[in-house]
This record gives sequence, C-alpha cells and structure tokens, in this order.
Amino acid sequence: MIAPGTTQQGIRLARAETAAGARVGINLRARSGQVLFDALGVAISAVMLFPIYWMVATAFKPGRDILTLEPKWIPSPFTLQNFQDAISRPFFLEDVKNSLLVVGAMLAISLAAAFLAAVGVARFGFKGRTGFIIMIIGVQMVPLNALIIPLYLMLDKLGQTDALPGVIAVYVAVVLPFMVWTLRGFVANIPVELEEAAMLDGCTRLGAFLRITLPLVGPGLVATAVFGFIQAWNEYIIAYVLLSSPGNQTLTVWLASFTTNHGPEWGPLMAAATLTGLPVVAFFLIVQRYLAGGLTAGSVKG
Amino acid sequence: MAATIAAPDLEPALRRRPRPNLLPYALISPSVAVIAGVLAFPLGMLVWLSLQHYGLRELIAHQGDWVGLNNYRAILGDALFRQVLVRSILFTLACVALTLVFSTLIALLLLRLSRPIRIVLMSALVFVWATPVIVTVDIWQWMFDYEFGVINYLLTRLHLGNFVHHNWFDNPLQGFSVIVLIVVWGAIPFVTITLFAGLLQVPSDLIDAAKVDGANSWQAFRFVTAPILKPIFLIVLCLSTIWDFGVFNQIYVLLNQRPSSDYYTMAIYSYRESFGVTQYGLGAAIAVLLVLVLVVVTFFYVRQTLEVGEIAPTAA
Amino acid sequence: MNLRKAWVSAIVVAIAVVAAACGGTSSNSDNAANQTGTLTIWLMNGSAPQSVVDGVNADFKAKYPNVTVNVEIQQWGDIGTKLDTGFAGSTPPDVVELGNTLVAKYAAAGALENISGKKSSFDNSGTWLQSLTDSCTVGGKLYCVPYYAGSRAIIYRKDFFASAGVQPPTSMDDLLTVGQKLMAAHSSDPNFSALYFPGKYWYAALPFVWDFGGDIATQSGGKWQGSLSSSSAQQGLTTLSTLVSSLSRADKTGDEAKQDAAFAQGHIAMIVANGWEVGVITDPKAGNPSLAAQLGAFPIPSHNAGQTAPVFLGGSDFGVAAKSQHRDLANQWVALFTGNKYMTQMATTGGVIPNNTSMLNLGTGINAVFYGAAKNSKFVPNSENWASVENANVLPDMLVKIFTKQMPIPDATKAASDRITSILNGGS
Repeated sequence: MIAPGTTQQGIRLARAETAAGARVGINLRARSGQVLFDALGVAISAVMLFPIYWMVATAFKPGRDILTLEPKWIPSPFTLQNFQDAISRPFFLEDVKNSLLVVGAMLAISLAAAFLAAVGVARFGFKGRTGFIIMIIGVQMVPLNALIIPLYLMLDKLGQTDALPGVIAVYVAVVLPFMVWTLRGFVANIPVELEEAAMLDGCTRLGAFLRITLPLVGPGLVATAVFGFIQAWNEYIIAYVLLSSPGNQTLTVWLASFTTNHGPEWGPLMAAATLTGLPVVAFFLIVQRYLAGGLTAGSVKG
Repeated sequence: MAATIAAPDLEPALRRRPRPNLLPYALISPSVAVIAGVLAFPLGMLVWLSLQHYGLRELIAHQGDWVGLNNYRAILGDALFRQVLVRSILFTLACVALTLVFSTLIALLLLRLSRPIRIVLMSALVFVWATPVIVTVDIWQWMFDYEFGVINYLLTRLHLGNFVHHNWFDNPLQGFSVIVLIVVWGAIPFVTITLFAGLLQVPSDLIDAAKVDGANSWQAFRFVTAPILKPIFLIVLCLSTIWDFGVFNQIYVLLNQRPSSDYYTMAIYSYRESFGVTQYGLGAAIAVLLVLVLVVVTFFYVRQTLEVGEIAPTAA
Repeated sequence: MNLRKAWVSAIVVAIAVVAAACGGTSSNSDNAANQTGTLTIWLMNGSAPQSVVDGVNADFKAKYPNVTVNVEIQQWGDIGTKLDTGFAGSTPPDVVELGNTLVAKYAAAGALENISGKKSSFDNSGTWLQSLTDSCTVGGKLYCVPYYAGSRAIIYRKDFFASAGVQPPTSMDDLLTVGQKLMAAHSSDPNFSALYFPGKYWYAALPFVWDFGGDIATQSGGKWQGSLSSSSAQQGLTTLSTLVSSLSRADKTGDEAKQDAAFAQGHIAMIVANGWEVGVITDPKAGNPSLAAQLGAFPIPSHNAGQTAPVFLGGSDFGVAAKSQHRDLANQWVALFTGNKYMTQMATTGGVIPNNTSMLNLGTGINAVFYGAAKNSKFVPNSENWASVENANVLPDMLVKIFTKQMPIPDATKAASDRITSILNGGS
C-alpha cells in the first residue's frame, strides 16, 4: 500500500543514502571519486559565492575601507555599524512585516492554484486545454515593465492602489503561469498508474491527486516555491509604483532608500542586501528536505 | 517494475460515468480566474495603447490619439530596431547556451555529492539566487570598476596583462561578455535547482539496471536520465530564452542607467522608447513586437509542450 | 423723493455688499480652523532634515487643526515612473517635490497647477534664484515654487596646494598652470590627478560652455535650436578638453558617481563638486574624516581673470497637482515650507542652498563658496522634452567622444546639436 507522507519518504531517502554510502565504502576508488566530487562542489560554491562574499564582507567594513584602490579582502577593522544603520531606518519593521505578508499570501494562493492547474493540464485532455497552455506561455513573454501603466490604471479604478491585496494579486497573476507550466512537467513524470492504484483502493480522482501526486512532486513544489518567494521578495517596480504610504511598503523599497541622489551608501546598502537575502536562504533550508521526497521507485515498491 | 510515462488519461473518466468530466475545468479555474482577472485588462490595454499616440499629456488626461499602425511602422522602419533585434537574439543564444550547459553539469554533480556538501552548494546557489538583482549588479559593476575593481586588480596581479584602469565597457563586445557572465551567473541557481529536482525524479533502480546491463555513465545519462529529464529541460530552456531575451536590470544598472545605443537589447530599447521619452504608445508597440518575436523563437518548444502525448523512455 | 429713496437704497445695498464681502473674508479665516481634509505630500529621500518637516507640519497643524498631513518619502530609483502613474491616477498627491529638470515635462502635460496668480503669496518670491524660477516657468506661466538648490565649485586639497606652492586659480589658464604644477609635484604617483574629471560629467562641463557665451540650445518662435556647435561652445569644450587630458586620470567613459570615494583615497587634488560632497568625502561611514581640515573650495574660474564661470543650478521645486482636491491647502503648506522660517533652517541645518538670493549669505565656512557660486548660475533649456534629451545621453556621449579623441570637437558638437534640436522639437 502506498503511504505518502514525507516521513516515510524521509526514511526511504535515509535508507537509500545509507545503502549508497555502504556501496561507496566498499569501493575505495569510488571513495576518492567522492572526495574529488566534493572538492569540485566546494570549488564551484566558492566561485559562485564570490560576489556575495564581497557584499557580505563590505557590510562589515567601515566606510573608509569600502571603495579602495587596493581591495581589502578581509574586513578589518570589523564593524557592525552598517547593520545598525540599516535596521534603524524608519519603518524597517513595517516593511519586513509587509513583505512577509505579501510573500506568504502569494505563495499560499499560487502554489495551491498552480498544483491543481498543473494536474489538470498534465492528466487530462479537454476542450480549451490548448488555449489554456497558450495563455500560460504567452503571458510570460510580456515584459512586466510594459504592463505597469495599465496595471496601475486598472487598480486605480478599483481603488486598490496603496493596498497590499492589489500587490498580492499582481504577484500571483505574474508567477502563476510559470508555476503551472513547471509543475506540469513534474506531474507528467509521475506514473499515472500510481493514481489509478489509489483509485482502485477507493480514492476519488481528486483525492488521488492530493494524496499521491502532491507529495511526489515535492521537488517541483520546492523549486517553484523558492522561485515564487524570490520573485515576490525582491520585486521593486510594482511594489514601488502601487504602494505609497510608508506603512504599506515592502522591503525592496527599503532597500532602494539606501541610494539617494548622492549615490548609494555602500556600507549600509550591502548590509541591507545581506539582511534581505537571509530569509530566502532560511526558507530554502527549511524546505530543502522535501526536495528528497521524490523517489518514485521506492514508493511504487512499497 | 518499469515506470512508464503515460499519456494524459482519458479512460478513468469514461470508465466511471458517461458524462463530460468537469474536473479538469475545476482544476484550472482558480488559475484562469486570477490570471484573467488581473492581466486581461492590462494586456488588452497594452495592445490598445500600441495603436495610440500616448504621451504624458494623454496619460494624465486619460485620452489618447488614435494612430492605427503608425507606431509599428515607425519601429519596424527604424534601423536601430533591426540592430537591436539581432543583437538581442545573439545575446540570448549565448546566455541560454552557457546557462544550460553549466547548470546541467552542476545538477549532475549535485547528485554525486555527499549530503553536507550538497547542502552547501545548494545553499550557495540559493543565496546567489536570493540576492536582489539590483544589488548583485551593483556588486558586479564594482568588481569590474575602472578604478576600484577587484577584477582589474586580480588580473594584473596574476600577470594576465595590464588591466590597471582598464574600462570593460569601452568596447561593446567586451562589455557584453561581462554582461553575459553576470546573467549566466545569476541564472545558474534556478536552472540548476530545477534540473536537480527533475533528476531526483529519475528512479535510481533504472540507472542501476542500465549499469548492470553494461551501460557506462554517459550511456546511462543518454538513454535513461535524459529522456525523463527532457520535459523539464525543455521548460527551463524555454523559460531561459524568454527571460534572457527580456534582460533589463543587468544592463541598465551596470551602465549607470545610461546605456549607449550600442548596448541596447529589446528590453532596454522598449524601456527607452516608452519611459525614456514618455511615449507609452510606442513602448507598448515595442512590447507587442517583443512578444511576437519570442513566440517565433520559442515556437518549436511550445509546439512540443502542446502535444498531448509525452515521451516514453525505453523500458529497462 | 423717489430719487432720494433710490439713493438711500443704493447706499444700503452698497453697504450690505461691502459688509457681506468683509464678512465673507473674516468668516473665511474663521473657517481655517474648520477646514478638513487630507493632504498627501511627496518628498524625495534625503532632501529635507526631519526636524524641518516636523516643524512645518506642527505649524500647519496649529493653523489647520482638522487637516491631516501625510508626508510620503519617495525613492529616487524609478521616480519618473512613480510620478507618471501618480499624476495619472484619480487621487494624485497634493504636493510633489520635483527635481528641477523634471518640472517642464509635467507642467506641459497638465499635471501641475498654474500658480502664476499666487506668486506673491510665497515669501521671497521677488528674490527667488533665477534659474529655479526659470525651471518653474513654462510658456510664461508659473507652475511650481522653488524649493532648494545645489551648485558646483571646485573642492581642493589645501595641503597639496601648499606643498606645490600654488594658490587657488583665478582664471582658466591659471587653473591649467596650477594643475600642471600639481601633476609635476606628484609625478611619482601613477594614480594622481590634479583635476579628477570623469568623462560623462556633463554638469561640470557646462560651465565651460557657458563661460565662453555658448549654450545648449536657444529658443525662438517656439522652435528650439541646438547650439553646442557654435564657436563659443566649441571654444569652451576645447579648453576643458585640454584640462582633462593634462590633469585627469579619471575614467573618460565613466561618470562622477564614485568621485567622492576616489577623492577620499587621497590621490586627487581637485574635483568639480556640489557642496554636499564635502560631507560625503569626510563622512566617517563612507569617507575619510581626517581630510576635513584639508578641504577648501573656490568657484570655477572664468576665462576672464577675476570672474567666475556660470554653474549649473540643480535643485528641486514644489508643485501642486492640478487634479488635487485641496489646492488651496496645498499651496498654504508649500508657502509654509518655503517661508522665511523654514527656508532659513534648510539653509543652515539642511546644508542646501535656499531658494532666494537674499539668504545666500547664510552659507558659512566652505559652504559660502557654493552659496556664492549660485548667484552666477544657469539652467538647461526649459522644454518639456529636456528630460528626453537627458534620457538619450546626448551630452555624456558627446563628451566621451571628445575626451577619448574618438571624434574631433566640431563633429561631436554638431552631432549632439542636431540630436538636441530634433528631440527638443518633439522628435527623437
């Protein structure tokens, strides 16, 4: 009997990994291969992270050491002044709260809607399917910049400017096509026999989707969730144009406030950028274990 | 047990009851509601704007001047437009190719890493992905700065030439190489993680079975992994094309919001001709043309996606 | 008898009318306390010290206790888009701080209220800085109130000058000589610039054009004509080009964004800069505070010895939205902010140049040079299409071509002139 649920899959992954580890342990050549791969992994991490390292290191440097003719690799003297400056900006906490609210609402709505639509498109042929897919793909090709004026005028008529629901609705609408399309690919990879087996056991079609398919597209959900999080978390122009009162703004506007007509305040800006990136990494670390929940072979055998 | 990828399933519906299945419509209705609800009017207005002369005065008065296809004629007749279009296509090609090659390799590497290192690499990728583009471009610009840039400093110190006071953006070709580097760097995390997620869906016993049958790693990849990965690969390929074609921030911010026309891509050109000169009708027309170009460029991928049948891997 | 009655009636009516009129006025000022509504004010990030804003709002509240004032700080990034949508919406902000080069665009589009008739209700309107007033005037009508200004002068290292044995120059030729002596004194430093001049720094190039009598464009009969190709403009640019090639190691294709950080590193003797850049150079968070004692300033010298070159006057103005529901209240708020009390505070605490010439003596210390330079200032062509010229980078591109010797000056200026003529007259 198939028992979906992450605990079971977590156990399966652990078992698989131990098995994998056991296999590796036996073969010495494979072991040094593992070390080589790990070293390569670390090297790639270092290369990719270098600009980020530069940003974080700068956040800890006093102003004088930031724009220097000879780069200073390690921040010394080390200072927390930039972070203190960044956090003490007016409305910082409101901005955090608003960003979390917007992103949370947007993720909840879009993930649910996207999963259902992905399942609908991947599993069924129906009249209008082509039209729906064309809409999904076509909408993504329109540059967001071009839609700012029409979006603003429309929301203005509805009295939804300077209101978070308006921004949430726009974000959902913009991210949904991508999510549907990507998740469809993941759903298509799940054998339909799994759902059929569940239905033989008495599940409804929808029940089968929710109990069987949903856990198995865990990796896809993680990827799209992180994508959605980042899109909404870092989006500036829509948030800036639609939201006006200081109590309503998001973190991206806070980030923009470190650049005045005197130029960017590098230290505080880098500190602010570091802080902005942390919640996303935290979110990822929380959901990344669900990335391992997609071993279809294991679940079919069980 | 061999896992097969089945065609979308019409049978259960017919088996159960002989009435039209409303379930798929119910499943897609929330998405349709939101997308249509939020974007139908703006998209319609975009096309409508493209047929008007719509400057700042018209915007404030909410009243445009109908000009029919004049905006399109003006753009298509502009020699700069053609230059920009060709440049955008080449730029997109370079970015997409490099992104996909590196991402696939890194995704495959992720499968082989031990758990802690895998988390390290993925977290690194996520951190890169998570940092706002505006900030990362600021950092890259600084790294390639004429005077204060780390790159110039390092290259000179490593005796790879005299890069003291070297301006990377004097020569558009050099400048675009830098831009491609930045775009690819920023694109790798998402594509890698998505491909990795897709790779996780490949049942490991299929690979084991193939290896038992004598396949080496490359053959296992080609005959087992790749076909399963193909739908997702095509999706990220198509998405990368769409996104890289629309690259804006990297170029705009890198060149201090004042790119010269040698650096125009379609997105910058569109922005300049709309917000830059406050001509929203013209900008809308360029956006519409941009979409049409993308439709043509991604036509084959899209057609594959529309096919009802999916690709079945050879059973092991 | 009828005539007398009529006469009396007439007088009674007249008295009644006058009484009503007077009664009307006095009941209006009683009503000030009864006026209600919400004023939305858009101020740019960093323009006014919080103490000034709070003070203005407190005084305004005292006068109009039932009016709510919401000050919203706007970011500089993408402000153009924000303003476009703001004015296009159904509830635009009542008062908007606009960069002075943006006003013409919005005034011509009908976004701002024509306040020509209310000019005298603002303090010091008789002595407003000419360039700021020019920025507010479109088609002969006044659309905004000058708020504050920024002007440029040359900031220099007193210690470098002392050790090279030179004094602040009093003419452009003198500037070249002084610079050459400084270069000689620091010949062992490969990073040294006597005058650090990034190629795209067009604000600093304009004084040279203007000093020789040239201009960016002139208007006659409603049509604009780009004039950078005139011989006087070319002469100014030639002088500047000589200075740049002899005295500057700055990026010829870069802009002035990082020049303060560069100056703080200690390999530069002079930069053309705004007054507030002194603060950036010596800021403990971003610069080098130990330089504070070594900084001095002198106005950009003219080619005529003893005179100064006209400088570009940057700054902001206050506009009232034409669609605002509370235009009178909005104007009252602006009048309060730009009134004597708070304008003085802006000049002293805010460190910006106030909007009128009579307050220019409020600049103390090194600021006095910048405030004084504002007296001799000019503005860009006040056309609704000027913003498009800036967005098309005509001036920076021209300068880069000149300084990198890609194009001789006559060709570069001709190309720029033609482009400016085309854009200002509504083309591209």
